[in-house]
Amino acid sequence: MSLNYWCNSFNLYKFAPLLLITMKQISDLTSNVLFETEKGYTYQCDTTDSIVVNFVDTVSSYKVQDFLIFQRKVNSVDIMNMLYDLSDQSDAQLIETTKKNFSRNLTICEIVQLRELLNGTKFTLSLNSMLCDVLIANLA
Amino acid sequence: MKDLLRNTTSLSEGIEQILNLQAKIESDASNKYLAMAAWLDRNGYANTAEYLYKQAEEEREHFLKVFKYITDMGGIAITPAVAEVQQEFASFREVFEIALQNEIAVTKAVNKVIAKCRAENDYATEDFMMWYVAEQREEEKNARRALEFFELINENEAAGKFALDVQIAKIGE
Repeated sequence: MSLNYWCNSFNLYKFAPLLLITMKQISDLTSNVLFETEKGYTYQCDTTDSIVVNFVDTVSSYKVQDFLIFQRKVNSVDIMNMLYDLSDQSDAQLIETTKKNFSRNLTICEIVQLRELLNGTKFTLSLNSMLCDVLIANLA
Repeated sequence: MKDLLRNTTSLSEGIEQILNLQAKIESDASNKYLAMAAWLDRNGYANTAEYLYKQAEEEREHFLKVFKYITDMGGIAITPAVAEVQQEFASFREVFEIALQNEIAVTKAVNKVIAKCRAENDYATEDFMMWYVAEQREEEKNARRALEFFELINENEAAGKFALDVQIAKIGE
């Protein structure tokens, strides 16, 4: 039986535009993955102009500025100090982001993993920006 | 994929960093003038104290101008921490010697920002910073003029300090 038969039988042509839109969105979503590590991934949502971070089963969404503040905050954690400090409270640190999108007590390992994810994401954002710059310059 | 970074801000990370540093330098300069004004005030130099209180206000305006520019351009402006400043001075003259050194340091910092703007082709920020170039030319001239008065008026003679206090306060009028 042909595809045409199935489409006619179930009146699928009526839903075709809807299916196409959904497929486009899914395609956009997968192509906009910015960075991926063993512990999480990030992607850019072009509909909401935001960056979605999925890290150890916590999903949070950020506007670019908030994402950059988050990244800088995680980078500013003094890991060496935490390593050398033998007290219990230095085993983990509360990482909170602006607007409380993300609020978790992270261990040293998790902070390093989150740092890797966020820095990788920032790298992809910068690379995309540079590529856009070059493309626009060539078009002009 | 949209260029979210560029859509959000027209400042590169390097320019944003150096502008935040400039904001901190201006903010520190304001506090330094405030400490000088307080020292002059408690030592009886009421006119020059008033002059430096105004300078402190002016430096704060300079700080706010950079600070607002960063946010206007979509950058992240960082409120500078209040640094320790010199509270005590050896003499009336030393206050203005330090004031001149501070102004020279600010001028050098402004030049660094402009050099960075040129390296990164950020002409909008360069244009914005040109206002500071003109301002610093004036500030350095005023700081030098204050020291010139110490050459013209002997502060150790009768009423010398009083005359200096009156004349320095008139600079820039």
